[in-house]
Amino acid sequence: MCVVCGPAVTPNYCVRCFLRSCTIFFLAKQSLSGLPVTGRVCKQQGSQGKAPRSRRRVCSGACPPLGAAGLAPPRPRRVRGHRMAKDRLHVRLPRAGPMAPAERCGLCRQTFFCGRGHVYSRKHQRQLKVALERLLPQVEAARKAVRAAQVERYVPEHERCCWCLCCSCEVRKHLSHGNLTVLHGGLLEHLASPEHKKATNRFWWENKAELQMKEKFLISPQDYARFKKSMVKGLDSYEEKEDEVIKEMAAQIREVEQSRQEVVRSVLEPQAVPDPEEGSSAPGSWKGTNSQVASISQQPSYLDLPPAPELDWMETGQPLTFIGHQDTPGVGNIHSGATPPWMAQDEEYSSGNQQIGPSYEEFLKEKEKQKLKKLPPDRVGANFDHSSSTGAGWLPSFGRVWNNGRRWQSRHQFKTEAAARNKQSHKEKKLMIS
Amino acid sequence: MRPRQAARSDQSKKKGRGRTDWRSIPKMSFLLPKLTSKKEVDQAIKSTAEKVLVLRFGRDEDPVCLQLDDILSKTSSDLSKMAAIYVVDVDQTPVYTHYFDISYIPSTVFFFNGQHMKVDYGSPDHTKFVGSFKTKQDFIDLVEVIYRGAMRGKLIVQSPIDPKNIPKYDLLYQDI
Repeated sequence: MCVVCGPAVTPNYCVRCFLRSCTIFFLAKQSLSGLPVTGRVCKQQGSQGKAPRSRRRVCSGACPPLGAAGLAPPRPRRVRGHRMAKDRLHVRLPRAGPMAPAERCGLCRQTFFCGRGHVYSRKHQRQLKVALERLLPQVEAARKAVRAAQVERYVPEHERCCWCLCCSCEVRKHLSHGNLTVLHGGLLEHLASPEHKKATNRFWWENKAELQMKEKFLISPQDYARFKKSMVKGLDSYEEKEDEVIKEMAAQIREVEQSRQEVVRSVLEPQAVPDPEEGSSAPGSWKGTNSQVASISQQPSYLDLPPAPELDWMETGQPLTFIGHQDTPGVGNIHSGATPPWMAQDEEYSSGNQQIGPSYEEFLKEKEKQKLKKLPPDRVGANFDHSSSTGAGWLPSFGRVWNNGRRWQSRHQFKTEAAARNKQSHKEKKLMIS
Repeated sequence: MRPRQAARSDQSKKKGRGRTDWRSIPKMSFLLPKLTSKKEVDQAIKSTAEKVLVLRFGRDEDPVCLQLDDILSKTSSDLSKMAAIYVVDVDQTPVYTHYFDISYIPSTVFFFNGQHMKVDYGSPDHTKFVGSFKTKQDFIDLVEVIYRGAMRGKLIVQSPIDPKNIPKYDLLYQDI
C-alpha cells in the first residue's frame, strides 16, 4: 500500500536508492533480463502519459535518469531466480567511497581499488624508494663520468642496458662505436634528453615522490656539453695510450728475438770451437751456423717464448739416434696399412701340422653336449615329439577316475596292476605255447 | 684419476711381510728379456694374453736406449701383472724395423692381445713412442692408460704424459 496514495497502489522501491515511496516514477517495469513486466505507474504523481524509453525504476527526484551517459543500471534487487546485476553487466559503478575503479600501479605491480589514495600509501612509497635507490647508483656513476670520461676498448659487456624508471624504457648504458666505448655515454645522453625530463616530471607528479630527489636524476644540458668535451679529451688520450702499448709490445718482441738468437749462437759455438785448426773452414762453419740460425729462427712454432730452457733435457742433452729411412717403395708398412709381420703366413706352416679347428676328441665332446641339449622324448609338454612311442604309463593320470590322494599313490597302484597284468599275460602265453 | 705407482699393490705388500715370494722376482732381475728374431717377436705378440706387451726397438749400446732400458727394467716388476716388457734389437729384426717405420731409436711399440695399440702423445706418430720417458711414473701411467683402454675395447688412447715430457723429433718423409 502506498503511504501517500493509499491502498490503491502498492509502493515499490527505487532500484537505485531504494527509496520507498510511490512518488517514484514507475516506468514500465522491466526486469533486467529484458522480460516485459507490468508497469506500475503511480497515478497520484501523474504519470507522464507514456512510459519513457528507459525502462528502469528510478525515483524522479534524487536519482538521475538512466538516459544520462555512462551511468550504470540500478542496483538490482535480490529477487529469487534473478541473477545479480554485476554478474550480467560489466559496467563500472561510479560510487563514492572505498570501492574505486580498479587501477594497476606499475611500481607496486599490483591492482588496487583506492583511486588516487594508493600513491600515498606506505606500500607504494616503500616500493618507490626501493626503485629509486636501485636507479640512483647508475645515475651517480654516469654523473661522475661527466667530469672525466673514460674510453675503453669495446667488450661485449658494454652492450648492457639500464632500465630508466621514469620513461619505462631500456637505455644502453655505454656508448660504443666501432672498437671503442665511452663509459656511461648512453645513459648520460638519455638523462640529458628533454623527453626524459618530461617523463621524470610526470613520474614524480604521479607517484608523489620527494621533490628533492628529482634533481638527482636529471642531467642538465650544460653538464652534457661538459661531458662531450671530456669525451673528446678521453678519446685523444686513449689513442696515445694505445700507441704507447704497441711500442712497448714491439720492444718486448725485439728483446725476446735477441735473447733467442743469443741462445742459439751459444749452443752452436761449442761445436765450432773444437776445430780451431781449420782456419779455412772457420769462416765456412760460421757461414753454416749463420744459415742454421736463420733457419731455426724461421721455425718459431717449435719453441714457444718461455720454454727455451725447459726443453734442455730433451734436445740439447742427447739427440735421438737416426737409423735410415725405412721406406722401400714396394713393401708397405704400418702407415700404409700392410699386413703385420706376425699375421703373415710362415714358410714352415703346413696344414698337416697345425690344423685349424677342434680335434676329434673335442668333436665328440661337442656331440655329447648337443645331446644333452635335447629334452627327454617322453616329457609331457610343449614341443612334444608325436612320433615317439610312449608306454602305457605315459598318461599323467594313469587312467584313474575316482582318485583322491597323491599322484604317486595312483602311480604305484598302476604299476602293481601293470605288473600283475604282465604276469597274467606271461602265464597265458606259456599256456598257449604249451 | 692417476694413482701413483698403481701396479705396485700386490708386490710391495708381499715384500713387506719379509717373505720372498718367488713370483715377485722377475725372471731377469737386472736386464730385460730380449727377443732376437722375427719368429720370437711373432711368438711374443701372439702369446701374450691379457697383458700389455711393450716392445722396445733399439740398440743396447745407444745412450738414450740405455736410459729407457733403465726405466723399463725398474718398473717391470711393478707392472708385471699388467704388462710384459721385451727388448728387441733393430738390426736383428729388419722386417719389424721396416714395418713399424722405425727411424729413430729407441722406439716403443705397445700391443694388447695381439692387437697393436696406438697412443696419441701429441706427436705426429701415434703408432709408437719415440725416445725415452722422463720419469718412471710417466711410463707407469702410460701403461695403465693403455691397459684400461684396451680392456674397454679401444684401439687408440690418449697419452697421460705431459706434452712437455714427450721427446720431440722431426718426422721426415723421404727427405722432405
